[in-house]
Amino acid sequence: MERGYWIRSKPLYDSLVWKQKATGHVVIAQGEGGIAVLKLFQQMCPREPITLLFADDASTSKNYADIIHTLVPEGVQICDSEQAVLDKLQAQLPNYLMGTQFYVAGSEAFIWDVLAELKVYGVQDINVEKELSGTLARSVYCVHCKTTDRDVHHSIHQCSGCGRHLFVRDHFSRRLGAYMGVMVDAEEPGNIPAKEEIYP
Amino acid sequence: MNMAFKQETFRDDYTYHNSAEAIRRFPFPFAEDEYMYSVNIEQHNGGEPGSVFEHAIDVDEHYVAECEDRRIVLEDDPNRYIALPHMMDAQWDMVELVMESLSRDYPDLFQLTRDGDNWHWINQPLGIDQKFVFGDEATLPMQPCEYITRQVQGDWIILDQRDDDLFADLGMVTSQADWSMAFDAGMSFKEWHGPVPQANELGIFDRALKYLLHLQYGSPVRRLNWTMTINPRLDTSPENYPFWGPDNVSVTPDNVGDKVHLRVELQALFRLPRSNAIAFSVRGYLASINDLTTYPRWAKRLHRVLTNLHPDLSEYKGLDNYRQMVIDHLAPMDDGEELALGTQPE
Amino acid sequence: MSILDVKVADVEQVTEVVKHFTLVQENGEPLPHFSGGSHVVVSMNINGRIHRNPYSLMGSTANTDSYHISVRKQENSRGGSKFMHEQVKPGTRLQITYPVNLFAISKLGHRHILIAGGIGITPFMSQIADLNRLGYDYELHYAYRSPEHGAFREQLEEMCGKRVHFYIDSKGERLDIPALLKQQPLGTHVYTCGPEPMVKALHLHAENLGWPENHVHSEEFTAPPVGDEFTVELAQSGIEVTVPGDMSMLEAMEEAGAEPPFLCRGGACGRCELEVVSCDGLIMHNDHYLSDHEKAEGRSIMPCVSRAKCSKLVVNL
Repeated sequence: MERGYWIRSKPLYDSLVWKQKATGHVVIAQGEGGIAVLKLFQQMCPREPITLLFADDASTSKNYADIIHTLVPEGVQICDSEQAVLDKLQAQLPNYLMGTQFYVAGSEAFIWDVLAELKVYGVQDINVEKELSGTLARSVYCVHCKTTDRDVHHSIHQCSGCGRHLFVRDHFSRRLGAYMGVMVDAEEPGNIPAKEEIYP
Repeated sequence: MNMAFKQETFRDDYTYHNSAEAIRRFPFPFAEDEYMYSVNIEQHNGGEPGSVFEHAIDVDEHYVAECEDRRIVLEDDPNRYIALPHMMDAQWDMVELVMESLSRDYPDLFQLTRDGDNWHWINQPLGIDQKFVFGDEATLPMQPCEYITRQVQGDWIILDQRDDDLFADLGMVTSQADWSMAFDAGMSFKEWHGPVPQANELGIFDRALKYLLHLQYGSPVRRLNWTMTINPRLDTSPENYPFWGPDNVSVTPDNVGDKVHLRVELQALFRLPRSNAIAFSVRGYLASINDLTTYPRWAKRLHRVLTNLHPDLSEYKGLDNYRQMVIDHLAPMDDGEELALGTQPE
Repeated sequence: MSILDVKVADVEQVTEVVKHFTLVQENGEPLPHFSGGSHVVVSMNINGRIHRNPYSLMGSTANTDSYHISVRKQENSRGGSKFMHEQVKPGTRLQITYPVNLFAISKLGHRHILIAGGIGITPFMSQIADLNRLGYDYELHYAYRSPEHGAFREQLEEMCGKRVHFYIDSKGERLDIPALLKQQPLGTHVYTCGPEPMVKALHLHAENLGWPENHVHSEEFTAPPVGDEFTVELAQSGIEVTVPGDMSMLEAMEEAGAEPPFLCRGGACGRCELEVVSCDGLIMHNDHYLSDHEKAEGRSIMPCVSRAKCSKLVVNL
């Protein structure tokens, strides 16, 4: 079952660039997104107030927090986990006004977690700068049992909810922040292609 | 109108079948020997009496059984109905569209009495008698759009219009050709339209979107689309692919005429007045190859269309497993006679 | 295109230059429902020539026993607003299109700021009805020239309560757009309808303050400007049409029996867009639909408001 939809729903990620017109800037990043942040702060910084929320990825030894702290003198809030970044963002969002520009960098799952928080306050994903950093791992939504698995590197992927082997379609839902996974051996049960790492 | 509603199933034992009259009015989509993807939009303001185009919303002999099939799907998976919170005006628009159309076009079967916002709805085939206050959600047993789309055939996707685009923000989708409302909810026009081979290159979607953004209340439009389905199954959803997938490899030269169905989608688009949204209805009609070949003209036409079909389209529509078997089955019925333009059976 | 036959039930002089018309359907039926911000196109037979002007629907979206439109008498009217003011009386029969909405409230918005200048208040009258009904958060800022020009002020005070703010130019009251925009929470959308300089100023300030484009909405209908006479050739039929200086290209084509598509007739919606096959002069773009780039390319024209300075324009129709 290769038919279906692809590419057009896939979001575009770019390199973070300061927006010239703004009343304030909020940068939210995680893990390898630290590199995107460092690149961003190498550009001419805007005059408006900047807030930066960052957490290192606890599962790797790579550490950007210290260098970010030295490089960015003001407005830096280092958190000890992704969840702490999201909590902090959630607490601060009611204070921001129209004209605030948002920038997000990190894994795709993190980017869409942040965008989901912003959406609650009426900020649409198309108006947010997004940079995908480090891993290409995908969140996969099992269309059969509706479980979403994060950090999926392989197609074929075995669903943690129903155990089915899923082919990952290049069809992305911004609302769910995930790609669609569809049972690969429905027509001929047991005929499962070898799994390959295609989202390193 | 004298309508005998069939007791039949679209799953398990598949007792679905078409009467001779249902075959006669089947919306056969091929006017020419070659099929090209196109938007082919036309006005949907009434059609030939007896045809599936006669009324805004067609009710046929399968009505009761299709509503029952929808009920079964929803019982198993309530997420086949999705409503984003900003679509409540559109939900009431849907109630009005369906109740007004059905009671106007089938007064023997459906009756609507309105006294200001106090509405009284009677749906005889389904045995429903409901008084409610239009605009007051609490007076219906469930959300207004779910309530009314459980009482009508075909899938309904309601598109919110904003930022010069259309977003699939409300829908009842239980009889789809391999796409998921739960997954596609909230998507823009271009996100949920896949790359129909050749269509993007031709700019078809850009033009279609522009046209639809200007769709006017009171001037609905329609088009036909088609694919093929094994067995008369309405619910060919990705959700339930594990259940119908095996059917795709079950076709043999002996059962091809019985198992393979042409699935024609009558797609109609209505501008909704209060919400400025667009209701997109996708009504599927199923006819087996054996049904269709009761008319030699259709047998010949279908043989040629399938033979000439572009391989990309064949793959996109998922026909590759069995297309050649259908062609071989139809070949003896095609004497090569030149067929005039048109979709008519005779 | 679906047409409604209506009869004028009432005419009210609202200010010195604004008249309010109440329209009912000739067959006595209620009129179609519509969404806040919609307009209709009114057809007028002026000395045998058909004029069609867009007017916003005012009033409640819940009660459609009648439609309400208001017309400002334009100084340099080509006839439309003058006709409405001088010839249309209770009992006059008119034809209108079904409502079309090019100025809808964004349902994803969390707060809505409406900014009206003068007669630009009209589309907000029905939007406010919707905003009230849906319980959305909004503010209306209404600027007008002098106290006697404040059309519908009392009605607005009643509908909006504390949400409405008035700015009377002759009293030196000014709406400070940047100050207003600077204090809005995330998720706010802003809408404006009024004189061109006001619309332009809002877009400019919003952009400079970092508002995303899709949070800024405006509606502007242009009356077709007068110009030089030129000839249009319809490539598909080979028909040649002369466009007199005081007629729009769309009107001239219609009078010649062609049926080009249209919706708003004010250069806003893009429905009447025609492909330009050739032009031996300059296209004078007057619409708000094509981008500057598209206007410079000259491959399309909006015949409802745009024309050409040339001897012959060939379009694909």
